Amino acid sequence: MDGFGGTTLRIDLATGEIRRSPTDPTLAREWMGARGFVSKILYDEVPRGADPLDPENLFIVATGVLTGSFCPVGSKLGFGCISPATNGHADSSMGGHLGPELKYAGYDLIIFENVSPEPTYLYIDDDTVELRPAADYWGAGSLKLEERMKKDLGEDFQIATIGPAGENGIVFSCISHDFGRQAGRCGVGAVMGSKKVKAIAARGTKALPAHDLKAMTDLTYDIIQRTKTHPNMEPWQKYGTAFFVGWSNERGCFPARNFQETQFEHWDKIDGERLVEECLVTHKACFGCWMNCGKYSRARVPGKPETYQEGPEYETIALVGGSCALESIHEVAYANHLLDDVGMDTMSGGSTIAFAMECFERGIITKDDLEGHELRWGNIDDFEHFVGMVAERRGIGDTFARGTKGAAEILGRGTIDFASQAKGMEFSGYDTRWYPAQLLSYCTCDIGAHHSKSWTITTDIELGRDTIDGKAPVVIYLQHIRPLFDTWSCCRLFWGELDVSPEEHVETINHLTGWGITLDDCMKVSEKIWNLNRAHFLERNGGPGRRHDVAPARHLDEPVPSGPAEGKKVGRENFEAMLDDYYANRGWDADGNPTREVLEDLGIGYAADSLEKRDLLGKPIPGGIPKVRGQRLKPKAM
Amino acid sequence: MRPGLWPVASGPAARDEGASDVELLLRSGGKLRDHLRPDVDQYTRRVEVDDGLTLRQILKVLDIPEGLVAFAFADGKLRRLDYRPGDGDVVTLQPPVSGG
Repeated sequence: MDGFGGTTLRIDLATGEIRRSPTDPTLAREWMGARGFVSKILYDEVPRGADPLDPENLFIVATGVLTGSFCPVGSKLGFGCISPATNGHADSSMGGHLGPELKYAGYDLIIFENVSPEPTYLYIDDDTVELRPAADYWGAGSLKLEERMKKDLGEDFQIATIGPAGENGIVFSCISHDFGRQAGRCGVGAVMGSKKVKAIAARGTKALPAHDLKAMTDLTYDIIQRTKTHPNMEPWQKYGTAFFVGWSNERGCFPARNFQETQFEHWDKIDGERLVEECLVTHKACFGCWMNCGKYSRARVPGKPETYQEGPEYETIALVGGSCALESIHEVAYANHLLDDVGMDTMSGGSTIAFAMECFERGIITKDDLEGHELRWGNIDDFEHFVGMVAERRGIGDTFARGTKGAAEILGRGTIDFASQAKGMEFSGYDTRWYPAQLLSYCTCDIGAHHSKSWTITTDIELGRDTIDGKAPVVIYLQHIRPLFDTWSCCRLFWGELDVSPEEHVETINHLTGWGITLDDCMKVSEKIWNLNRAHFLERNGGPGRRHDVAPARHLDEPVPSGPAEGKKVGRENFEAMLDDYYANRGWDADGNPTREVLEDLGIGYAADSLEKRDLLGKPIPGGIPKVRGQRLKPKAM
Repeated sequence: MRPGLWPVASGPAARDEGASDVELLLRSGGKLRDHLRPDVDQYTRRVEVDDGLTLRQILKVLDIPEGLVAFAFADGKLRRLDYRPGDGDVVTLQPPVSGG
């Protein structure tokens, strides 16, 4: 099959049986890869009552149609499971080199079933596929283990690992690769750990079959030449995403002290300029990329060991730096290293620690809960001690190992009001009180709050930050086009920042596969995935859907105390009105449940049947569903 | 005539008497390109401005929303919007990363 490695692996961890089968061409064509594969397989196979950390959950490693291609840039690899953070569909992707390596070894999709009796790791060397003992590796930090495995197996193996957090079921555990690339979100590392899989190591030396290699090469060459001289390339190469801190702070959307404030007074001590001037060791790129947006850094914090890590990038600076009020880029980089090595997502991890800091500030937790330590804003020693408590689930650390929502449910006392999360996953690094479309994006996102699926800060600026009008269709449009890059498994930045159009990506897919598809076809696949994930979430968590699309009280009711967004809040009435608009534009009913008409239009009528059996199907819409769901905008950076 | 800046095409006659001016090339892509309205190539616009204006002032008279400019980049360095470009500068306007 052109464009694919050709083989799917299904691994029963309980028995050690490894089954190979040809990758299903219908699955490939209709779901396109990573996020799409995960959506369909989880929906079809995971029992609705299975706990995310039960053996019945699946752990899926999935490449996409563009993984391993040079379409800018096919570096991505997807991971999927039912999320322990949200109890819904989880897909999380990472850059680096492992995805292409798997595909060059011939594998598009790896599905892990059940639980291994002993710690294990998956070893792939082209046609050799083995489960190998990993008892010696169990307990090791992610970064340290990757270095060790490179020595054990050889530098040319690409390796993904989990840290102690993943082994201990912390719901915001990540999977780490290439010394700093993570599949960070949704707790995919906890599910990998629940199956006793410590690592995946792969080497692939084969080639991908292409439908029209010359046409694909010509197009790629044109894109490379064009983007190399694009005016925005050099700043990207120099600063990566960290440059964004100053802008975000000036616009009043930079989270400070657990989203209490939207500006951080020490922003200029932790921004991209400081990172490059004080910490940069070298620029770092994913497979096949000529942008090098990764920043490999050295942290020097007095009294601490010198550390090396990739980053921090914007999200880590926002949620570990601003939100925990760290005042030095070295401390942020050091904290980045701590979380990477222990195997926690820096976004949800940073947010959960910031939430705990606010609990400490309010006296909800005390030194008695913290083994005699404090948990003060901006204190790296307190931060480090608390990370250890959470990773090892010691004392109150066990409470916060469940994330902000899980912790708030145990702590009570109104803590849920300042837990900045949706569906159990923490917000990305943007405050929403002056950015209503971003709040809608977070709260309707199919994996829990994540900017990657819909980022609307500039849309809010362009359409007006004080209005909700016209926001819902844009959010829906973005929720379709942005996750397409996760489904295709290529980097989104060349689209958003360097003017490589989605149509050019589709043209590459056609040269690679011979499918002859259009961008509209792809958008429909993306909408199908979104709706199937919604149906799956409702089947697992009950309805109505509106009950789950809930915003934290802080972002609805609590005015921003100072700065350019002073006095701003979204308000409950506005939020509910946006939800009304959102559901109507999606063709869902007023309760937020998908309707049969829209599911059948997307070719997933079986989901309507399943919802109907559970009394979760949306009521028919008077006058019918919109013909096109989500505003059709000229595909540009959003 | 808007104060402080003239598109090259409007010519010197439109300028204030005695005002010195600098010629700049402003460059950008992505979301900013529609606002920049390039006229040199697909990413570049040539403008002449009064000497001493900040980038923030230049954006204002060009009707480019400053909220859509994350920072500027000139002479290999990051520049904030209070930067005052000099004659012959090539200034890249960097749009916000689409989400970090």
